[in-house]
Amino acid sequence: MKKNNIRFLIVEDDEMIRIIHKDFLEELFPNCKIFEAENAAQGICLYFECRPHLILLDMMMPLMGGETFLEILEEGHRTKILKEMPKVVVVTAIKDVKELMAIGKRFAVEAVISKPLVQSQLKALLEDWIS
Amino acid sequence: MDTSKLPRMIDFSNAPVLDMKKALYRVHNKQELLEKVILVFKKNLLEKKETIATELVNENWESLKLISHSLKGSSWTIGAQRLGDIAYAMEKASASKDLPLFNHLFTILQNGIDQVFNYLAENGL
Repeated sequence: MKKNNIRFLIVEDDEMIRIIHKDFLEELFPNCKIFEAENAAQGICLYFECRPHLILLDMMMPLMGGETFLEILEEGHRTKILKEMPKVVVVTAIKDVKELMAIGKRFAVEAVISKPLVQSQLKALLEDWIS
Repeated sequence: MDTSKLPRMIDFSNAPVLDMKKALYRVHNKQELLEKVILVFKKNLLEKKETIATELVNENWESLKLISHSLKGSSWTIGAQRLGDIAYAMEKASASKDLPLFNHLFTILQNGIDQVFNYLAENGL
């Protein structure tokens, strides 16, 4: 992934957390494009419209949660509708360890980070992926 | 119901109302950004409080769990540890559909929200 023109999608129901994520990404990658969705339904629409390279995904959201979002991505890959899988980082306040491990094992998930987000953790991941 | 077993505000009082140092850290020590997110946080707190009251009447547990979970995440993010802890207890109470406990915690939460607002006002936010 190249640093210039990288596209991010933030799927998060909490407006305040979206603002914090966005500021962090803009500071790290000044030329990036950021798209925002309040739930997974909006997120899927934006995904097909904008084809982000990297997605920050919350799991528990109203209307449609992150679980469905991941199922759609995985189905898209299985049926070869999606040629390239984006990198999905789940950022969640779920505390149940078994649940977190199950999320981490999913095909579509690259990493799971607990809320409150420690930005240095995310920064290290991103810098590893993005040149 | 044995009310002596229900949690009290004092059970959550070890956690700070708002840890400003943590809050600033979350926003990369940007005072302007902190003021912006606090405004949003306050607006959301009031909205969520109203939604909880409505959903509680309907005993919509799925929705109550989602709102409590969301409140927990945003509160912990901004350093409102005590409110986040109360919301976490509410999330667990909604998962077990425990109406008396949830109702009781909601009263504590409302006190907790008042404490956050007072703290912010005292700090000019």
